[in-house]
Amino acid sequence: MSAARRLDPVLLLAAPAVLYLAIVYGLPLLFLLGRSLFGAGGLASFGSFFADPFSWIVLGNTLRSAALVTLVCLVIGYPTALVLARAGGLVQAAILVAIILPLSVGVVVKAFAWQIVLRRDGIVSQIMTGIGLWSEPQRLLFTETGLVIGAANIFVPFMILPIYSVLKLVDPRLGEAAATLGASPVYRFFKVALPLSLPGIVTGIAFVFSMAASMYVIPSLVIGDRFQTLATLTGRSFLFMRNEQLGSTTAVVLLALTVAIVVASSWLSRRLGGAS
Amino acid sequence: MTAAFLDITGASKSFGSATVLDGVDLAVGQAEFISLLGPSGCGKTTLLRIVAGLMTPDTGKVVLDGEEITRRPPHRRDIGVVFQNYALFPHLTVAENVAFGLKARGAPKDTIAPTVSRFLSLVQMSAFADRSIKALSGGQQQRVAVARALAVGPKLLLLDEPFSALDRKLREAMQIDLRRILREVGTTAIFVTHDQDEALTMSDRIAVMYRGRIEQLDTPAEIYHRPTTPFALDFVGLSSRLPGTVVSEDQGTVAVETPAGTVRAPGNFIPGSKVLVGVRPERIMLGGSGENVIQAKLTDAVFQGARVQLHFEAPEGGRLMVEAHEAPAGLAPGSTLSLGWREADTLLYPAPAEEAAA
Repeated sequence: MSAARRLDPVLLLAAPAVLYLAIVYGLPLLFLLGRSLFGAGGLASFGSFFADPFSWIVLGNTLRSAALVTLVCLVIGYPTALVLARAGGLVQAAILVAIILPLSVGVVVKAFAWQIVLRRDGIVSQIMTGIGLWSEPQRLLFTETGLVIGAANIFVPFMILPIYSVLKLVDPRLGEAAATLGASPVYRFFKVALPLSLPGIVTGIAFVFSMAASMYVIPSLVIGDRFQTLATLTGRSFLFMRNEQLGSTTAVVLLALTVAIVVASSWLSRRLGGAS
Repeated sequence: MTAAFLDITGASKSFGSATVLDGVDLAVGQAEFISLLGPSGCGKTTLLRIVAGLMTPDTGKVVLDGEEITRRPPHRRDIGVVFQNYALFPHLTVAENVAFGLKARGAPKDTIAPTVSRFLSLVQMSAFADRSIKALSGGQQQRVAVARALAVGPKLLLLDEPFSALDRKLREAMQIDLRRILREVGTTAIFVTHDQDEALTMSDRIAVMYRGRIEQLDTPAEIYHRPTTPFALDFVGLSSRLPGTVVSEDQGTVAVETPAGTVRAPGNFIPGSKVLVGVRPERIMLGGSGENVIQAKLTDAVFQGARVQLHFEAPEGGRLMVEAHEAPAGLAPGSTLSLGWREADTLLYPAPAEEAAA
């Protein structure tokens, strides 16, 4: 059969999704790109954007907070994924529900909840002063620490799930084989489990980093206007400053940043996956 | 007699209400090759995992080379394991797999490469040192798994059905190879299998396991010629089995009435006892010579290459199986023939309980 040349009819199944995305996502994106490149300032607006020291602060805020959120998610998420992959039956189901169910709570609701938790008289402050780690109540709300804590809470499922799905497929006999060869539990982790789960880690990092770099609601509610990221600056440009040129420029910079991260990580993930 | 190299005493293991291992004792000598032979679910893999330290027995003790290791974690036992699916590290090359144990034990750097190449050449895989594991065939992976387990110089090597995924020709070649390799290295080995031919071919001794117990522990020849239980008779090799009742006993010889006629066998049973009579197929002579001669009708002749398997039915319903080099000329299904075998070749057991016979 010369099926190789003919279009696979199954591909038609993708048509609704392609059409939908092309209209509601692709087209606006094209407009945005067009405006940033050929709008009032054109390419020069990128030049003035990168010439402005404030832009670099915003860029730094975006990258730093996203990196911190990703790091926190990885540190919390990896052990959770490990437990989840090793657990059986009911325990596994319970953990999965605990991870997935909170996703159904809106980001706004969670961000508001963190506002309460991180206040000067909030539970974090009360506990820290109560056990004597802080000499007096402190406010984490409207600080970058508070932002990282809140955002990590919201994004951690996107770190756990990809790592878990890779770990689940790792043959438990590999760990046993390593043990019988004389490898201690720590050696086993670093030489067997960790390298084999790298594709999951890379995917998790890509998910969380790109979401954390483009988050808008969480910084707006948890840290406020004095901490600007590319996403909040884009929003402000359009909504408050009516500066569509600046808005589309920052939006494109953010887009380029996240696309670069996703492409690089999927390439890395494929390479690491190819080795396993 | 000196103490055994590996000494397992009273090992038991239950999962919930299921007793998988029921008070197993096993003593293995240095450089001995022992097979644990039995059907799936007989506890052989559980016993292997207990020895490896991948599982802790509920009761019992494991002593290796004079040291009790019952509760010692696997990485401090010095016991190599070749897993059924080989469990090679997919992210490492062939040579890195073999080097893994040496590195994990902190072997001096300059000794690792020579050791790896020595063991790769032992299993004839030197040409594949830098290959990825995924690029290897099943037989090649198996060789790498053996090299990896042996490279660290374990006191004991455990093999969990390592040939079950290989086709027959390759399996037979690997069996001979593995024996050669183990003789060269001088490693004590325990080999788990459900394949009786494999066990008979390779082992110094075989432990026939059934329902969490060792039914018989003996040399392959003894197991084959003198199985001590009906299960061992049935599981190892082929046999004709006839239920019967003892009619008389005289100085270690009994006469048993079976559906195929009355046969004589060595044994001590009081008249009236229900028994099971067994005969190996190659012990039965066509034409009928020996103390036991019966008439039976040929029902089927199965050609098996080097041998022919002949199935007979006695008038009263007993079934017998005979193996001959070739079918006698002019013998057609339906013809009646006399079959004979020696009294000394007749195996006799108390009749198994109903459930076991089923």
